[in-house]
Amino acid sequence: MSTTIAQLIERALEGLAVLDATAEAVDDELQYVSDLGTVWSARLRAVAAARGAGPAPDGAEAAIEALVAEAALVTDPHRAIDWLSTLPQVALAALGEAA
Amino acid sequence: MRFADARPDGRAVVYAHIQADPLVLRAAALLAEASTTQRVLARAVMNGMTTEPGRWRVMFPALFGPAAPLPGDPERDRSEAILAASLEVADRGEQTRSQLRGAIVEALTERLLAARTGPVRRERRILFDGRPAEIHPYDVTAEHDARPEAWDCKWGARGIKADVVHQLDDARRGAADEDLRLLVGLVVFDARRSCEVRLVRERGPVALEGLRLIPLEGLDRLAGRASR
Repeated sequence: MSTTIAQLIERALEGLAVLDATAEAVDDELQYVSDLGTVWSARLRAVAAARGAGPAPDGAEAAIEALVAEAALVTDPHRAIDWLSTLPQVALAALGEAA
Repeated sequence: MRFADARPDGRAVVYAHIQADPLVLRAAALLAEASTTQRVLARAVMNGMTTEPGRWRVMFPALFGPAAPLPGDPERDRSEAILAASLEVADRGEQTRSQLRGAIVEALTERLLAARTGPVRRERRILFDGRPAEIHPYDVTAEHDARPEAWDCKWGARGIKADVVHQLDDARRGAADEDLRLLVGLVVFDARRSCEVRLVRERGPVALEGLRLIPLEGLDRLAGRASR
């Protein structure tokens, strides 16, 4: 059984949650971190709602796994804030979606 | 209203060396012709942890996967060149990479603007009669007599701060007081979605209608063309 887009979105959201937890250490950016998590989670879930049952495009599963692994390497909270915006853009590109 | 060179200071001298780095000029030239996905690749790699190119190729199947253009195709070659240049930036160390990224966005903005208008200048102040001279210069200006423009450039949406928004709006209003139209805006190497949530918090009393936002996926608008 092939991997669905919804499954890959769930993996991307897990990666986003890890970054969110790391980024929260920057006290004066808590609101921005929260805002980023809200808007990008919503964008990813919108893709899952529209195309979630469909099969993942070629290469997307490996792409999302590598992307989530890359995000897990980010331990600096300031870099994590930048990655809260970067991870969704890369995930959406892998799924053939615009940001 | 008139444009003037920035006052030379220590920061400017140091930053001039960064701006002149051949890696900055090479990356900007590549990104000026890049697709949106290629620009996202550059953003991810320049801010990434991994310096193993194979890992990044896996993350971007549209650029490097089986369905991507084959090696030798100009698009594929550009993707490879952007990956190589971005890895060089990432390899420079945290402080230097941060300076390089900012300089790349400015050089990219200069190139794209020059495709549409001119003369395009860097690090220029805007002076108004009867107003105190500003201290901070604008990153890139287009000094066309009839359609002047002033742009501030940011690597990421987090760089959008209230003082930057206020300074741009102040220049726009200063020009309007002289019955001139000055186009002001932010060029941000980040997604529109991230920029908009930042702007909402940082705008203060500034009306955003007078401020142009050019995010990563809309960069080609600077050159007067559609993004691909």
